[in-house]
Amino acid sequence: MSRNNSSDLAKEEQRLAYKLLIPAFLILIIIAIYPLGQVFYSSFTDREFASSKETSFIGLQNYDKLLSLTIKKLPAEIDEETGQKIINPDTGKVEYENPIRVLPRKPYLYRPLQEFNLFGNRYVIGSADTDFIKSLYNTLVFTIVSVLLETILGLGIALVVNSEFKGRGMMRAVMLVPWAVITVVSARMWEWMFEPSRIGLFNMLFEKIGLTEGNTAFLSMSEYQLPSLIAVDVWKTTPFMALLILAGLQLIPNELYEAAEVDGANKVKQFFNITLPLLKPSLAVALIFRTLDALRVFDVFQVMLAQKRYSMASYNYFQLISGRNMGMASAIGVIIFILIFVFALLYIKVLGVETE
Amino acid sequence: MKKGLTVLLVVGLLFTISLNIFAQDDIELTIAGGAVGEELQLTQKAAEIFEEKHPGVSVEVLSTPDLANDRLGLYLQFLEAESPNVDVYQVDVIWPGDLAQHFLDLYEYGAEEVADEHFQAIVENNTVDGKLVAMPWFTDAGLLYYRQDLLDKYDLELPETWEELERAAKTIQTGERAAGNQDFWGFVWQGNAYEGLTCDALEWIHSNGGGTIVNSDKEITIYNEKAVAAVEMAGNWVGHISPPGVTGMAEEDARKVWEAGNAAFMRNWPYAYSLGNQEGKVIAGKYDVAPLPAGDSGNGSATLGGWNLAASKYSDNPKWAAKLALFMAGEEVQKLRATEGSFNPTIKDLYEDEDVLKANPFFGKLYDVFTNAVARPSTQTAPQYNQTSELFFQAVHNVLTGEEDADSALAYLELDLQDLLDYPIAD
Repeated sequence: MSRNNSSDLAKEEQRLAYKLLIPAFLILIIIAIYPLGQVFYSSFTDREFASSKETSFIGLQNYDKLLSLTIKKLPAEIDEETGQKIINPDTGKVEYENPIRVLPRKPYLYRPLQEFNLFGNRYVIGSADTDFIKSLYNTLVFTIVSVLLETILGLGIALVVNSEFKGRGMMRAVMLVPWAVITVVSARMWEWMFEPSRIGLFNMLFEKIGLTEGNTAFLSMSEYQLPSLIAVDVWKTTPFMALLILAGLQLIPNELYEAAEVDGANKVKQFFNITLPLLKPSLAVALIFRTLDALRVFDVFQVMLAQKRYSMASYNYFQLISGRNMGMASAIGVIIFILIFVFALLYIKVLGVETE
Repeated sequence: MKKGLTVLLVVGLLFTISLNIFAQDDIELTIAGGAVGEELQLTQKAAEIFEEKHPGVSVEVLSTPDLANDRLGLYLQFLEAESPNVDVYQVDVIWPGDLAQHFLDLYEYGAEEVADEHFQAIVENNTVDGKLVAMPWFTDAGLLYYRQDLLDKYDLELPETWEELERAAKTIQTGERAAGNQDFWGFVWQGNAYEGLTCDALEWIHSNGGGTIVNSDKEITIYNEKAVAAVEMAGNWVGHISPPGVTGMAEEDARKVWEAGNAAFMRNWPYAYSLGNQEGKVIAGKYDVAPLPAGDSGNGSATLGGWNLAASKYSDNPKWAAKLALFMAGEEVQKLRATEGSFNPTIKDLYEDEDVLKANPFFGKLYDVFTNAVARPSTQTAPQYNQTSELFFQAVHNVLTGEEDADSALAYLELDLQDLLDYPIAD
């Protein structure tokens, strides 16, 4: 009798719990699952943005176009009279056929992405959507380099502000200023500093110390574009990294250091044997945060480079807005989603962050 | 629980309805306009005149991004959501074909009477399937701005061909730098990867006899010797007579260099004319405008630009939205904008108006440039003009930054366009 009663009560409570969960679940469906499903769905269609054009289902065609790669061998150009390979008189190298004649044009036009030599032959990698493949490359380089630099610098800063000195509280607050500036604003600020004439800070400085003539177009020359953006991101997000690491440092009990001191371990040893291992969980969290953030970078690229060079997210934007290809843009969104997912899993596996 | 939800819904509904009722006596209109140069101030001024004439109506001016592509992005988001938040849109001359489905037919709101006063070519451009989807507001054509004082100083003639321009620019640049102005450049223009580069590059190519990318018979014409030579020529300007940073410049960036007195020539739209003559500017009174130089075709070419006003179909007050569009594009406002901001009117009579000519002496002289401007291939390629233009400016930009040579860039462009548009390649 009593057992029956309690199970009734449990059931009643369970039902109540479900009822109470309904609002949260509804909100989750409306704001997360529905839009996500919508994006997945439209990535299989040729939907046009802000248009009444009929949408049709095209399967995996969007993904196929974005990710198609091919490698073709480039034949050397042959002189018709002598039957010999043509050698460029200026460079002394063999002249190869223009990739345009070698790469396939059906079902999509393949454009050359990269040429390389292997076993004395010349090959070309072609891609159906070079802009996307390049944006993938840009995003990955940006992410890896900026997160690496931010971690190293952030760790250094955190160690400094974790030590005892006068005005430490002040220092910790000041340190956060770059992070508090809105990204678009800081990107504009840096854009001014990167001005291609001596109005810009960097050109002025470099000209003063005699490095350049003061006319370097940092944001137009492809070799300077990524380093410039990485500089902006490192400046802006290092404080965030430092903050997370600082929180981790404060969790490490002081007794450990005292014990190490007694045992005669020097500072370097202390760092590698105590600080680093105990910092790992917070470092992992910080790394995950930053990496996932950097992978979907949009604002810095959009403000400073616009259509000159894309990140995946800004390419997504341009496919949607300028191209009005909602289907294609959705497919890019899904690819970004999957990529971020893979990175997250990787981190959890490698760094062993378990949900205990 | 269910009951609570119902009550909440009813209260919410009542609240919205009552808000609407109270809002009725006041009509609020929003016009989305540009903010290049003096645009925003002038639009606000015109909005105030409209408010004075129609008590109870308030007009808000929404300032939109400078770059046309960004502006289109913003508009598309409003239009996709069928938002009533914007009533009147300022639309580029290349958009009516693409966006027609979102706009009211202004013929149904009394545009019939005034349409004849405007340039016929623009009215036709804005007419889609017999519907007038936008009122012409101002027209634009690329012009060559030149420093008369510097031409005199170095005893040079006004250049009539691109070669002469190159030589004159080089002479002045060398001279000015030797005289101590290290930041001086010969020629500034719009070289960033955006719609503005399409306009500039079309001028080089068309003036050189290289066609208009896609011709009116829907054939792709871009890959030809003349076009390659024209793009190559511009590629050689970068770092030579134009700053390396020109590949990142839009209209306003070029104007900044020009108004600082650091350029001998500038390619820009007419709006920069009155701005440079404002009091306190170093170049005030020292410059003039002329048609752009000629290439192998023997004539200079100016790309047709300009903006129009369209009334949104999703407006809460379509009648008022159309009325505002018609007023803004009417003679009174066009005259105000012409005299104070040198925005070229689209109303023919205003080119004979004394006040307008006094403020902009070049309007009369360059009337032919405005009426003969070259249109971008937006009608031939609709609804894919934006993608066409993007492929085009990316290809040209790659040449300007030295990543590709002109020949292979245009060869690929031809194939890309064929892939996109499915049009044949012209012989």
